[in-house]
Amino acid sequence: MQVKEFKVKWGMAIDIDKCTGCGACMVACQAENNLSPIEDASNKIKVMNWLVVYELSNKKPFPEHDVAYLPRPCQQCGTPPCVSVCPVIATDKNEEGGIVSQIYPRCIGCRYCMAACPYHARYFNWLDPVWPEGMEKALTPDVSVRPRGVVEKCTFCHHRFMQAKDKAIVEGRDPEALADGDYVTSCTEACPNGAIVFGDLNNPDHQVYHLARSKYASRLLERLHADTQVYYISRREWVRRQLDNYLDNEKVKG
Amino acid sequence: MAVDRRGFLKFVAGVSAGVMVTPIPWKLLDDASIWTQNWPWIPSNVDGASTYVSTVSKLCPSCVGMKVRLVGDRPVRILPDENHPLSKGGISPLAVAEAQMLHSPARVMRPLKKAADGAYVAISWEEADAMLAEKLGAAKGGIACVSGDETGTINEVLSAIAVQAGSGNFYLMPTEAQPAAKAVAAMGGKGQLGYDIENSDYVLAIGANVLETWGTVIRNRAAYKAARPHGEEPAVQYVFAGPVQNSTAAGADQWVPIKAGTEGVFALGIAHLLIKAGARADAADFDAFRSLVEAYNPAKVAEITGTNPEQLKSVAGALMKARTPLVITGSDFGQGTGAATVMAGVAVNMLLGGMNRKGGLKLLPVAEPVVSSAMTRAEMMGKDFVSYMSRINAGKEKAPAAMVFYEANPAYALPQATKMSEVLAKVPFKATFTTFLDETAMLCDLVLPVPMGLERLDDVATPYGSGQALYCLARPVAPMPANVKPAGDYIIALAGKLGCSLGVSSWEEVLQAKAQAMGADWDSLMDGNVFMSDATVSASLSFGADALAKSVAPKAKEGDFAVAPVFKLGIGTAKTAIPPYNNKLIRRWELQGNELYVAMNGATARKLGVLMHDKIVVSNKSGNLTARVNIFEGIMNDTIAVLMGLGHTAFDQFSKGKGENVMQLLTVGFEAGTGLSVWNMAGVTISKA
Repeated sequence: MQVKEFKVKWGMAIDIDKCTGCGACMVACQAENNLSPIEDASNKIKVMNWLVVYELSNKKPFPEHDVAYLPRPCQQCGTPPCVSVCPVIATDKNEEGGIVSQIYPRCIGCRYCMAACPYHARYFNWLDPVWPEGMEKALTPDVSVRPRGVVEKCTFCHHRFMQAKDKAIVEGRDPEALADGDYVTSCTEACPNGAIVFGDLNNPDHQVYHLARSKYASRLLERLHADTQVYYISRREWVRRQLDNYLDNEKVKG
Repeated sequence: MAVDRRGFLKFVAGVSAGVMVTPIPWKLLDDASIWTQNWPWIPSNVDGASTYVSTVSKLCPSCVGMKVRLVGDRPVRILPDENHPLSKGGISPLAVAEAQMLHSPARVMRPLKKAADGAYVAISWEEADAMLAEKLGAAKGGIACVSGDETGTINEVLSAIAVQAGSGNFYLMPTEAQPAAKAVAAMGGKGQLGYDIENSDYVLAIGANVLETWGTVIRNRAAYKAARPHGEEPAVQYVFAGPVQNSTAAGADQWVPIKAGTEGVFALGIAHLLIKAGARADAADFDAFRSLVEAYNPAKVAEITGTNPEQLKSVAGALMKARTPLVITGSDFGQGTGAATVMAGVAVNMLLGGMNRKGGLKLLPVAEPVVSSAMTRAEMMGKDFVSYMSRINAGKEKAPAAMVFYEANPAYALPQATKMSEVLAKVPFKATFTTFLDETAMLCDLVLPVPMGLERLDDVATPYGSGQALYCLARPVAPMPANVKPAGDYIIALAGKLGCSLGVSSWEEVLQAKAQAMGADWDSLMDGNVFMSDATVSASLSFGADALAKSVAPKAKEGDFAVAPVFKLGIGTAKTAIPPYNNKLIRRWELQGNELYVAMNGATARKLGVLMHDKIVVSNKSGNLTARVNIFEGIMNDTIAVLMGLGHTAFDQFSKGKGENVMQLLTVGFEAGTGLSVWNMAGVTISKA
């Protein structure tokens, strides 16, 4: 599948060495995007998370053990496997910015996209979203609430992209040339460690452009050639090795 | 007119073509897909104009600054506040859920009274006022007050009532601030310890969970962020010493495993190496301190702490090479440590020339009380609630006739939690000012609902861990529920009814006086600005060598295994349970259903003969818990890591009955040199269930 190129390509550079796994990003994401709470969150099949912080281990015994945390939003693939399998075009990659869309009313809940996504970034609403009485007052007006039966995923807080463009238009700036920091996702904004940097991967004025070219930067399952827009940075070789299925004797980038 | 075959086919073709070109079927299909997803029970978004208000979190112990996004008058998001010195563009996983917590199912929305049958019945404020005034009036001389708000001036009001009632029994819930205050006092100092983490070029955290829970943690993490450019070599080295590879260890450049409760010994081991390398400090008892640490050579420290002597030497060497090193000692679970741990850490900073130096330790000024007969901060810090409860339990002190709790949940959050609940049961009348129906509320005769921090006017004065003296206000940004009353004004009025003279007539007057005492401008504070001062208290500290010598040696623990509680801010704190949005942060093998998992390394599991998912019973004389085994190699041998914040018996469906409360295993002991209660070295026995 040919990579669709855009003038602006929103992406992330996540420094795994700076993430301490506190989960502020996960909670911020839920509040921003109106995900409902769940009584038994240990049931990981039913839990909805657009962003999950995974724990990585170097698999060595104490005291050589090392731990790292990997926040996983939707990787916004350049050749999204979810798009090609969707029978109703409820998900697509055709907007300037390169964000893979998810159109909830169009989704028929077949979950082909979930099967196709190599990153487990898509979630199916097995249950109706339920907020404790009164908590629906804390819903943001920016993201519609999804019912049972549809698939959803991280949209890089797409509503913030639209708001940033609107603001640029009002201020007489070019909405297609947003400055670094004009548009950031909720997780990027919340992280107290600054582990996530967000911006335009095609714009040298944006920090993420340079970070994506770091010798320590690589992408999840890069050799699937999904051409994802989320880069992970780690100075630790064992962490980079776990980002793809390397053979023991294979050399890892960086 | 007859329709022939050709005509019929033409008609069908025409209809087919017509349907294809009209938008009707597509529109119907589109509408159907929307209608079938637009059920009345699915909440809809309500639009409105967005506004942003800066305030500070009273829920999160980090006192993180935050911007509240309001849509109309509804807070919908808690966002970081670039301009607040305790946020610096970051937000804690607890505070970020605060807007949703306003609607927590566990909130108390009206006064409740415990009926004769034990059930709670809603009562009017008038009835609550009368009951409280009568009971406290009758208990005069026997009133104890307990506060879970460490940084608020409400403590002055509560302590003034306790003092004027004759008992002087005002207590703060235990945190890391009390041992630190005790350490400063034992070392002959004044003021509050401040940590200039931003200007340090080498941070050694011994026990102190500086990137997850310790002190002004979001500010700490902002310093960490600034010192570590993405993908580049870090400009500042972070080293963490503790029993578990926790969040701080994950972010640090080096994890030095040491046994729980041996933080002070590890610090003295560093001091030994520094003195051997020629470090000195201008203190009267330096020679006594030198004699004390003489014994703490790397071999002995390794024996006590379980650390690798070479790693100890390498850390000491790096500290000596650094220009502005900072050593922070504390408890990896935010409480229960002794003053000796802090004293040993301060001693190392003194040897490194770090007192009142950029990037080092400071002594920050503390404002005098503004409420008549209120305790000073030093007096409050000197009161040990756990020790008080232990004395009541042992019959050495009479239980008070009445106990008043303010945003405190001792029935859940104190060590030996079950025993503490039994002691609380000895108190004839208990009332609590609380936002949530917590475990302590369930023991109280009267439950009085107070607004959350987002709904009330309140203050934060120099939280422990801050590098500067500071003062800021939490401003009411959300409408308060109808039957909830702000505690400040209510308690001031109550004090009047009890015949106490506080010298103030309203809560706002108290805060204005406090702002003035701090040197802050009220109007500026009300605009959301933060008052900060670079002032320090000059004091020549001693090493407190005598007290340190008596206190630092760890006591032998019960059982063959140690418990290391793991404190994660997002899972809740001593005063709040797991926020509804935060239970997703609990990892798969920390909790399954309602079943707790405890972590241990492979060597410990082999020693016990258990495998992943096996059921075990962890017990000691204080209590026991049943859990399943998770194998995690980032834990010292013979140690089990247990997540804190679980095992609630109150609150809501997101917390109640999930897992077990590790606090019931933490046995209270007393530090020989200072008398402070400590519970950072719990020993347990483990058996298969």
